Amino acid sequence: MFDQRFVRNFSIIAHIDHGKSTLADQLLLKSGTIDQRDYREQLLDDLDVERERGITVKARAVALSYSHHGQAYELNLIDTPGHVDFHYEVSRSLAACEGALLLVDAFQGVQAQTVANAYAAINGNLEIIPVINKIDLPVTRIPEVMEEIESVVGLPTDDCLKVSAKAGLGIDTVFQAIIDRIPAPSGKPDAPLACLVFDSKYDHYRGVITYIRVVEGVVRKGQKIYFMKAGSSHEILEIGQFKPDMVPTDELGPGQVGYIITGIKVLGNVHVGDTVTDFHKRCSVPLPGYEVPQQMVFCGMYPLDATDFEKLRDELARMVLNDASFSFAPDTSDALGFGFRCGFLGMLHMEIIQQRLEKEADVDLIQTAPNVTYQVLVRGGGEVQIDNPHQVPDSGSIEEFREPIARVNFILPTERIGPIMQLCSDRRGVYITTEYLGQNRAQLFYDLPLAEIVFDLYDKLKSITQGYGTMNYDITGYRAADLVKMDILVKGEKVDALASIVHRSQAERRGRALVRRLKEQISRHQFEIPIQAAIGARVIARETISAMRKDVTAKCYGGDISRKRKLLEKQKEGKKRMKQFGAVEIPQKAFLAVLDTGSDD
Amino acid sequence: MHTLPTSVYVHVPFCQHRCGYCDFTLIAGRDDLVPRYLAGLAKELPPSHGVILKTLFLGGGTPTHPQPAELAQLFELLRSRFAWNLTTEVTVEANPLDLNESRLEVLKNAGVNRLSLGVQAFDDQSLVILERNHAANDLAGIIHRSQGVIPNVSVDLIFGVPGQTLPQWQESLARAVEMGVTHLSTYGLTFEHGTAFWNRLSRGELSRTPEDLEREMYAFAMEWLPAQGYMQYEISSFARPGYQCQHNHVYWSGDPYLAYGPGASRYVDGRRETNIRSVLGWLDRMEQGESPVAERETLDARARGHELLYVGLRRCAGVERYDFQQRTGIALDDLVGPALAKLVQQGLLVDDGKRVSLTMEGRFLADMVASELL
Repeated sequence: MFDQRFVRNFSIIAHIDHGKSTLADQLLLKSGTIDQRDYREQLLDDLDVERERGITVKARAVALSYSHHGQAYELNLIDTPGHVDFHYEVSRSLAACEGALLLVDAFQGVQAQTVANAYAAINGNLEIIPVINKIDLPVTRIPEVMEEIESVVGLPTDDCLKVSAKAGLGIDTVFQAIIDRIPAPSGKPDAPLACLVFDSKYDHYRGVITYIRVVEGVVRKGQKIYFMKAGSSHEILEIGQFKPDMVPTDELGPGQVGYIITGIKVLGNVHVGDTVTDFHKRCSVPLPGYEVPQQMVFCGMYPLDATDFEKLRDELARMVLNDASFSFAPDTSDALGFGFRCGFLGMLHMEIIQQRLEKEADVDLIQTAPNVTYQVLVRGGGEVQIDNPHQVPDSGSIEEFREPIARVNFILPTERIGPIMQLCSDRRGVYITTEYLGQNRAQLFYDLPLAEIVFDLYDKLKSITQGYGTMNYDITGYRAADLVKMDILVKGEKVDALASIVHRSQAERRGRALVRRLKEQISRHQFEIPIQAAIGARVIARETISAMRKDVTAKCYGGDISRKRKLLEKQKEGKKRMKQFGAVEIPQKAFLAVLDTGSDD
Repeated sequence: MHTLPTSVYVHVPFCQHRCGYCDFTLIAGRDDLVPRYLAGLAKELPPSHGVILKTLFLGGGTPTHPQPAELAQLFELLRSRFAWNLTTEVTVEANPLDLNESRLEVLKNAGVNRLSLGVQAFDDQSLVILERNHAANDLAGIIHRSQGVIPNVSVDLIFGVPGQTLPQWQESLARAVEMGVTHLSTYGLTFEHGTAFWNRLSRGELSRTPEDLEREMYAFAMEWLPAQGYMQYEISSFARPGYQCQHNHVYWSGDPYLAYGPGASRYVDGRRETNIRSVLGWLDRMEQGESPVAERETLDARARGHELLYVGLRRCAGVERYDFQQRTGIALDDLVGPALAKLVQQGLLVDDGKRVSLTMEGRFLADMVASELL
């Protein structure tokens, strides 16, 4: 057991691309936890998608051994995801720490998600060390960035660190600050055992690996433990630390961070936020846990080929093994047949799962446009959760239709405030306040319907601010709104998978934009195809795909028949991801058209 | 014993100018390369064999672009390797303005008995857009002079030229018929990737002919020409009795053929090969003693079947089940049974049990039909 006076637990809070993974890699390298030979970029990100997209999705923990003035320290780095979708994972990681490094890019400055995560750390009473990274960039704004940290986050910057993780500049000062400024964990070795479960992952060979932070007492190999929330008891088969590979040890004392393996095979049986205690000598109260993350975005996933249904189910089940915040349930669509309704924390989470499915599973998918969860108060009492447009009851039986609202904060260049305010007002936003962060940047607060955020708000923000604007949001509750279900009819037939829930005031505009997009996506047939958007029986928008009248290449390239065959094969390939609706073939892309109305909106 | 192909294609890649719509293998303004081309061809052509050819076809580029003396050398070379006589269909594609007395003389002496003239249009507006170097007024004289030397003259006409009207198209057809040509090929203008037309289209400097107008133009040709005695026998081919192009029939029926020159494609022993398309690349390979083949593909029964369907259905006679199975080793209905039934039901194909062919509506949508049958 390591003397807890020499243990430090910290995490790194940073915006995407501000260099968190690079700094983590440097800390591993400079402490000697890994050597140059084993070094590869983004050591802590072990999902393919994480490396590819340069983001951290899952929390990670690694124990660094560091020698300072002849004294050995154990520095536990608990890595956190940076994206808003994974905000709950951040709070989880922070609860296992006494301190945090607030890493800010020397040019880009404070970003919206950094602020949100920094506030979470302040609320958790963590010691925060501001670190300005990338000081070796050709152009930096260090004084302004320091001012932003003071004015936006509210932290003094007198002893702010200035480093370049990439160049390895100032890394020693980071170690020094962690040791000097972050308090050692409290907790008594002889108290009844209390460990916080802050994450878990599934290993194909060893079952569930549970990430713990010891708060009180000592946990040992072979000990019989009790999960207080789950109410289950297990024997510890292996205990250890991540260095960064799993290294078994005999015991972990107060403040130490590591893993336990108990033979649990199903990830769902380990609850993040649960308290691990001794089976015989239990602690009296469990540690404060976490809020269960709420799935806010849903979409349908259907196998293109109906015979792939079982295969898709197996693949989705495999995803759930490693990501308990994702869920799926069987669903049927008149249009798409048997498939699944899948729930996600947010849009990025959805994209990541979808990418992993496409990469790792050999199933051609049709994915429907995502939607948020609504609440409907039914006339005569009763409340229904709606996570699929086709569940919307008759308008006659709806007493009140409610949608989730989020408090959004934008950080953006001041000269783009106007266009963003215009965008928010178009999206039914309620203005809250503006705060200026120095001369050129401002923080803007709005209450916006979540559905409007899901509907390409992030892309719009990026394009309006040339990439300099960032945003973060928290769901604040539900609000009644004049919402309606908009049906789409293709050649007179309702295609349930194309239905969406929209605000009445926007229905016509959205409807027009959507049928126009669908017209572009659906190729011409031998006959005319009317595409209509309708609310109830009332058609609000219509486009017609004209009949294909002539499609014949007259000349045949002399004897070069293979060339023509290849062209035809290409044409055929483009038809692969098509679904037949009556006489009309609709491509996969069309189902996402709901999201992408381009410049029309 | 396997039979040697009795059809030969020779690609002559020279042109004075690359017309904006053309994406064929050619080289413009490099007449200096003709001697190297002839030397290259001498290397690529097989040693002489005595079989009398059924068809010989010189395409381009512009086979009539080289000087009369060079043209004579080309035929001398071909004569030294292949045998042909009066029963052989010998076609040369020609640019109207090239057909002066001396070139016609060379062609006639070489045994050429069919000319395919790149007329394209009989109105100056379309000819200017298509970047052809002849004017409408030149054509009557040239065609009559050619017919005087080689009576079997076919003309190519293009419809769907930007700005072209239906009356202009009708007028072009009428002029060709009036001149007594034996054969007409009508091509709908296509915008091919990499051509000047494609770029001008994407910049908005050219616009496509509205589909309905193009359909009307094509429909007019299919209705009117047969009434004038020109039977349609393929998607874009019309002929007076006895004047169908035998060489093209070889392509469409799945028979083997040899081919030489840059970009040329051959089909021998169930294998398709295409020569390197770059003219300089082809010259280089021939001079280095390397193979000119850039792509090679051996077709299995299914691929043979799909191809035969694609080319076979272009013929008005369609595809015959017995012949199809003989040639491919696979039964038509085993390959595409359900798709055939669907297309028949959609009114694009007719099926009398023995033979499947495009309906009139199917001819307008032949590419779609072909892709359904892949």
